[in-house]
Amino acid sequence: MVLTAARPRRMWGVNDGAGSGLYIPKIAVVERIVDETPDTKTFRLRFEDEDFASSFSWEPGQFVEVTVFGVGEAPIGFASNPMEPCPFELTVVARGKVTRAMHALKVGDRVGIRGPLGNCWPLEQTKGMDLLIVSGGCGLAPLRPLIFHVLANRNDYGDIWLLYGARTPADRDYKQDLETWAARNDMYVLQSVDVPDGTWKQHVGVVGSLLPLVKLNPEETAAFVCGPPVMIKFVARDLLKMGFTEDRVITSLERHMKCGVGKCGHCCINHLYVCTDGPIFTYQQVRTLYEIDI
Amino acid sequence: MTGKPTTCGFCGCGCALYVQTNGNQIVTVAPSQNHPITSGRLCIKGWYGPHSILNSNRLRTPLVRTGDQLTPAPWDEAVGTVASAIRDVLSRRGPRAIGVIGSARLTNEECYMLSRFARAVIGTPNLDSSCRFYDASLIPGLLQTVGIPASQVQIPELPKAGSMLIVGANVTEQLPQIGSRIAEAARNGCKIVVVDPRTSRLSAFADFFVRPRPGTDLTLIKVLLKTILIRDMYPDSSKQLPGFEPFSHSLGSVSIDRVEEICGVSVEAVSEMAEMLAENPPTVVMFGSGVLQQANSTEIVKALADLAVLLGGSVMPLRGHNNAQGACDMGAVKDLLPGYMPLSEESSRRKWESVWNCRISAEGGMSALEMLNACRSGDIEVLLLFGENLALSAPNTEASMDALRSVKFLAVSDLYLTETASMANVVFPACSFLEKDGTFTNVEGRVQRVRKVVPPVAESKSDMEIMADIAKALGAELPRDPQAVMDEIAQNVPQYSNVSYARLDEEWGQPWPRNEIIPKLALLGSNGEDTKQRYMFRLISSHVNFPHRTGSMSRMIHILAREYPEPFAELNAADAEEMGLRNGSRVRIFSEAGSLVRQVILSDAVPPGCIHVPYFFGTNTPNALASYECDPESGTPVYKACAVELEAVE
Amino acid sequence: MKVGSAFILDKARVGEFIESLGSEMQIVAPKRQFGGDVAFAAIKHPDEISWDYGNDIHPPKRFLLPHYEVLFRYKTNDSIQIEPVMEERPQAIVGIRSCDVTALRQQERFFCSQICDPHFESRSKNTVLFSLVCNQPREECFCICCDSGPYLFSGYDVQLTDLGDRFLYEVGSEKGAEVSAPREHLLANASEKDLKLRDSIWLNADAKFQTTSYLAKAILFISANEVPQSVWDQFGAECFRCGSCTNLCPVCSCFNVEDTKDGDGAFTRWRYWDSCQFAGFTREASGYNPRATFGSRVQRRFYHKASYQYITRDGRHGCVGCGRCVVGCMADLGVPSVVKRLRRAVSEQAKLEAPA
Repeated sequence: MVLTAARPRRMWGVNDGAGSGLYIPKIAVVERIVDETPDTKTFRLRFEDEDFASSFSWEPGQFVEVTVFGVGEAPIGFASNPMEPCPFELTVVARGKVTRAMHALKVGDRVGIRGPLGNCWPLEQTKGMDLLIVSGGCGLAPLRPLIFHVLANRNDYGDIWLLYGARTPADRDYKQDLETWAARNDMYVLQSVDVPDGTWKQHVGVVGSLLPLVKLNPEETAAFVCGPPVMIKFVARDLLKMGFTEDRVITSLERHMKCGVGKCGHCCINHLYVCTDGPIFTYQQVRTLYEIDI
Repeated sequence: MTGKPTTCGFCGCGCALYVQTNGNQIVTVAPSQNHPITSGRLCIKGWYGPHSILNSNRLRTPLVRTGDQLTPAPWDEAVGTVASAIRDVLSRRGPRAIGVIGSARLTNEECYMLSRFARAVIGTPNLDSSCRFYDASLIPGLLQTVGIPASQVQIPELPKAGSMLIVGANVTEQLPQIGSRIAEAARNGCKIVVVDPRTSRLSAFADFFVRPRPGTDLTLIKVLLKTILIRDMYPDSSKQLPGFEPFSHSLGSVSIDRVEEICGVSVEAVSEMAEMLAENPPTVVMFGSGVLQQANSTEIVKALADLAVLLGGSVMPLRGHNNAQGACDMGAVKDLLPGYMPLSEESSRRKWESVWNCRISAEGGMSALEMLNACRSGDIEVLLLFGENLALSAPNTEASMDALRSVKFLAVSDLYLTETASMANVVFPACSFLEKDGTFTNVEGRVQRVRKVVPPVAESKSDMEIMADIAKALGAELPRDPQAVMDEIAQNVPQYSNVSYARLDEEWGQPWPRNEIIPKLALLGSNGEDTKQRYMFRLISSHVNFPHRTGSMSRMIHILAREYPEPFAELNAADAEEMGLRNGSRVRIFSEAGSLVRQVILSDAVPPGCIHVPYFFGTNTPNALASYECDPESGTPVYKACAVELEAVE
Repeated sequence: MKVGSAFILDKARVGEFIESLGSEMQIVAPKRQFGGDVAFAAIKHPDEISWDYGNDIHPPKRFLLPHYEVLFRYKTNDSIQIEPVMEERPQAIVGIRSCDVTALRQQERFFCSQICDPHFESRSKNTVLFSLVCNQPREECFCICCDSGPYLFSGYDVQLTDLGDRFLYEVGSEKGAEVSAPREHLLANASEKDLKLRDSIWLNADAKFQTTSYLAKAILFISANEVPQSVWDQFGAECFRCGSCTNLCPVCSCFNVEDTKDGDGAFTRWRYWDSCQFAGFTREASGYNPRATFGSRVQRRFYHKASYQYITRDGRHGCVGCGRCVVGCMADLGVPSVVKRLRRAVSEQAKLEAPA
């Protein structure tokens, strides 16, 4: 069976009646802010409209366009447990105008949300398979919902390996979750940092250096890879060398986005729109695109 | 769509734009297809500028300083405050303690009113404009050669040129419509020689790209002239031109063999330049800020104009501002009355005394730069600035900002609270080119109509009205109607005698008439080449595409600002490696005058020993590195080829 | 009134027709501006229409996808109040050319498929096109190479052909039929002679093209990424980055979204035409730019216009041969010129690589 990126059950503007409100954000309130790392925060948000909140749903891999009123809009991936769709969490790195403005928000502030946008990790097709999750830096965020989903449906999947690499121990997201997951006996967790601190007892090096430690049969495994573009490129190559076929390497890509609904043209990689054809792609889909270095 | 177009207020091409408004906002911008310059296309500033310059960052009310705060105030209070300051200084010190500086952005009518306001209402000879910092250096050089301080060629004629020499100008990025005609000329077989230390985007269209060391253009052009003279590569008729003998003698001391040592350009290359130009008439010689802001700019202009005259070709000075030509035509220039009538000539003074009903002293005034010095010394107590962000256009940013801070009274009119305006005692909110009527004169000397297409933003007024308000508070009447002012100009400024609003309502504007002026060859002085390298690097400053001059307007346009998000400097890869710098490293660039920090981008377009530092980043400007050294004849500061040092920053 | 029927509209009755139409909707038609310029503008009186015009350099896409459009306004005082803005005024674009009709249909497919853009859809639903066949193509036109003119067999609402003292009036869509029905009394049936005259005028127009562009080969090369990078880089070196090609192109539709401050806690979210030819179009917040070079951006424009990957998505390639990029490019990188140079470059490369 050839794996493909999955069509989500729900997509803003397609089948959720966004209608004439395609570009109009829904108001959500910031309920909680957690500092993950010096430049990353996780925001928990709840829609003000209770009817909308109770009927809201999304799948791992999807994202929203967040409006910071007075500043602008930016795309951020869902980062929490999809079984509890609202309130949901977004993990935000302060990099541009909008994300920096988000970091200045306080609990109780309001933002605008349009979503869910994009497609999702293929979690139906991969039932029965072993899963290899490889993430780097802020790339763990779009994979966190996948991990929650898989753990909540543990019997649907085989072995689960989570590999996570960060620059330093302090730069890791979800440190608490990582501990919890590492403590579980139904999944394997390997962590690595480029620059250890005094207390780091685990591996040192790039996340790809953890791959030789993984015991899996590539023919029965789906690999989910997310992180900085360079990481995706080299991990994908390593996976192929290990015997993975191109459709078994699935990744989440990023591009500068504006509308999030496949109209404004900013996020195109060749003929693919990252916001609607993605952000989840199999390596097979994107390998032949000359506009991506992968 | 507006039935009649207006003229773009960004660069000196002067494109005709139609706009469609919705209330107070611009919702469509369209180029004119039949306008001879626009030809159905616009540049990024034209497409995206108009909508953005009406944005909410605009000054909405006058501001008056109390303590260290600028607070909104009603018009009569602001005007009254300025008038009081002026009256006070007039009574204690006299008019020479007052300075008036205009801008090359203002309309012709406003620049003309500026002359009248300064000389007739206030009575000060200290009148100048931002042209002093950009291109006023072309005036003496061209007057002494081709006889008119303006272009001899029209833009639509350029594709028919046989050869072009383009010196120190990033044309495709700064004056795109002219750049497009250069590209067209190239396709037509025109031989194009480009001279610029840094490889610019013109290289795609150049037959020959010459990269002299920064600051050595004068020697290069003199060697080129001498080569042409010695090898008899010019039309015989040129020998009859006035000034031929002294001109050719003045090149006697030029040593062709030293060109490689001084300029870094081989004798063969100069020879090839000479052949390309001389053997392919007609030749158009163009030059921009790279020449006009260099040390000895007047001499370089003379040499280039001599070259054009010698070959029987023509010059096209490339002036970046939308109305640099007009501002000078209207006499908003030190010691020149409108129409380039010299203040020093009695007949000029008599004429304007009669037109304006005033007395005009024979004593000359200060240039904009001298006024800045006088602000610091206290010789000037009141400085009035109209439409210019002087803090960013003046050299030696730190000293200039200091001068503006320390002047006793500063009044500024501008669209935004610029760096200069935030130091003022009184700030007037001014209208952009979209909100007023008037005319601009483009690079060709073509006078074109500026039409009001949206109401003034909030309480802003045109500079003409602001001057009239101040004049009224001083007890003088100045006209407020641009059409009436242009009628007065047409009657009294010979170059503008054919200009009328009625005519401009029927036809496209025309370049002002070139009467039969016999060009002369000016003799060239000997120059001391600054070959000593006290510092390691030579500065190449430029205006990258999109952002324009100080960027007050263009920085407000998101699409433009998006192109260059980080202040950067370009360095040759070999130099970078030697200094341990990579792409993205930070480097501090400093000179005796000041310093700035930029992010490094490696580029082979930059020759070794040079660093390219573009404008556009507010007070992080290469002007900080320039001193108050000037071209002696024109008083234009030297911004180019400044000697600087580099230091890696963590 | 059936789709496919053909009528005659006498030129003497055009004024009455326009007035009648104008009582139901806004009419946009070619109108004299200044100095010989003609542009589509709202007209109030039939005499304002300039029937003998070439084309408006500014593309009529602006009537469905405005140059600057308000998406919504909002206030951020105590709570957030959002005020949606939607344009629903009915309009007729009279005198639009076949190339631009083709382009608008392509934009309709793009904006209204799967995810429907409500602003575009509203304008498009409320717009009827009365296109005018070009009896005389202009120097820069090459619609005949792009299957988009000078006349159309389908895709139009009402297609007019100038037969001299009368227009042939062909109804091409349900919308065209609906809008024509109230004015049926001003129309006469078209005869065989009329249709034959139309055919000869059409054939005549076909023969008058001065510019051609053989896109088919170019599409192959571009889709397979067979054009040497140096060729794209050469185009990139010549490009002025003015944005005229994409702004003037009737098919191009990329836009930017920006929130602007109106003062007093009030903001407007605008969208406005953007261009893939600008570096900032794809630059990410981190500073990384997947299309960092001029050449890669020129390549992008042609990939979007002429690749089978996009043809499969959009239903046709992205050029309608209107010639605006030929006129509007500051360098000489209009579609015909680039296609010609691409084809030459690829065949020269093939010669270099051919076995001896």
